[in-house]
Amino acid sequence: MFLIFKRLWQVNWAEQWQYRANLLMYLLYWLVSPIIYLAVWTSIANVKGSVNGFTANDFVTYYMVLLICDQVTSNIIIHTFAYKIQDGSLSGELVRPIHPMLTNALVNNIAFKILTILGLIPIWIILFFLFKPDFSGASFVGVLLSIPVMMAAFIIGFLLSATIVSLAFWTTRVYSIHEFYFALILLFSGQFVPLPLMPQVIQNIAQYLPFQLLLYFPIQLILGKLSTDQIVLGYIMAGVWLAVAILTFNWVWRQGVKQYSAVGA
Amino acid sequence: MQTLKLLSAFFKVNVQMSLAYRADTVVNILLNLMWLGWELLSLNIIFSNTETLGGWGLGELIALLGVFRLVNTMMIALIWPNTEKFNQSIRDGSMDYTILQPVNSMFLVTFSRITVWRFWDLILAVVLIAVGVEMSAATTTAAQVLTFILLSLSGMIVIYSLWIVLIALTFWFVKFDNNVTILQALMDAGRYPATVYPAWLRIIVTFIIPIAVATTIPLQALRGELGTVQVLIFLLVSFVSFIVASRVWKAGLKQYSGASS
Repeated sequence: MFLIFKRLWQVNWAEQWQYRANLLMYLLYWLVSPIIYLAVWTSIANVKGSVNGFTANDFVTYYMVLLICDQVTSNIIIHTFAYKIQDGSLSGELVRPIHPMLTNALVNNIAFKILTILGLIPIWIILFFLFKPDFSGASFVGVLLSIPVMMAAFIIGFLLSATIVSLAFWTTRVYSIHEFYFALILLFSGQFVPLPLMPQVIQNIAQYLPFQLLLYFPIQLILGKLSTDQIVLGYIMAGVWLAVAILTFNWVWRQGVKQYSAVGA
Repeated sequence: MQTLKLLSAFFKVNVQMSLAYRADTVVNILLNLMWLGWELLSLNIIFSNTETLGGWGLGELIALLGVFRLVNTMMIALIWPNTEKFNQSIRDGSMDYTILQPVNSMFLVTFSRITVWRFWDLILAVVLIAVGVEMSAATTTAAQVLTFILLSLSGMIVIYSLWIVLIALTFWFVKFDNNVTILQALMDAGRYPATVYPAWLRIIVTFIIPIAVATTIPLQALRGELGTVQVLIFLLVSFVSFIVASRVWKAGLKQYSGASS
């Protein structure tokens, strides 16, 4: 099994490396929104002194950490996998004795992730000098604690996206459903704004959804803004959602493969 | 006259193509409404925490959202689908057929693909602008509305010209598939007044990829912040950029040598 992963890694790394120019473009594309949110909120905080307890520096550090967390926890399988079900090219992978989603697609996504993070480092340093964030509030323990959370969040996010992609076994096309799912992430993860600034209803719901584990929770953990109780609750949520995501994906995938009709192939 | 006939023919063909995917169209309209809801919610979140954003009130940001959607409709209904077709035609050489037509090739490349259902977005955009202007307490004169309309159009021409230049570069660098990514990426910067951005970002969205010229600046005209000279300069800029773009396009065509044949 280890050998399989090693070989898959070599293939996927080489493949991603070949597309490094596209990768850089993707990075630039993805970077713009957080920077705009950062600019909007710091400009408000500068005028008002602070927004709901958030100072301009709080916003700068929040979005600077968000850039890293988002790269670590997000996934791209809607782009790398959905079309295989749609055009039937999944058939070839299904007859192999390894799980197409949990081996090849996963390794491919991780290779992509590592390359984009490497590309992000110099950009992040430039932004650091442009925005001059003060990270003195960040806690070392928080950084350490955030690592398992982000890994769990990546797996949860990956499996939830994989579940949505698997819906293509029934509907053939899943891009619209995925767009709706993407809006949920935007609403409940803290991507647009730190969750305490969202309307109360959204905050109450967000607490129990997995999406805040992708961004808000690890960011605040790194910045040392969470109480012990909140950290414990976050860890419990991560455990629960990990279990839910694994079970849901497995069930949907199995039903889906039975349903699969290899359209077009 | 011939131009109008061609346009209506393109329109008909594209309506037929989209009718093949009716359910898709309905879902897309629903998603579009969802994003409108999100945009309004995000403005609501901003303005529940502050009274003004860089001196602009809620009404003005709603109007800005309208202008942004106007530009965005042009991008989604025309620019992106035609870019896709154009890049494909350079790769496989089908650009040959476009050039052989006895019509201006820039015109053909701009209008041969139209995402028809997107046009309802224009109505939405106009409603947003009207509501936003109504909400902002400032009195708007007829002259301000007129310069606003003029500058919106000239801003779109500037962005259109930039697009022509970007895709024309493909004539020189055939493997330049990412020709419009930078434009696509910076579109979102048009949602908020460029005046709140840090100087370096403001320079990028005003001079390099001039999204703000088509969004922030028309709205500044509506607010009565621009003098006559400034307005004339922006109109001149759009005129010059269109001339430059068509020159670059012609030079690019001369460079084109077909693919594989």
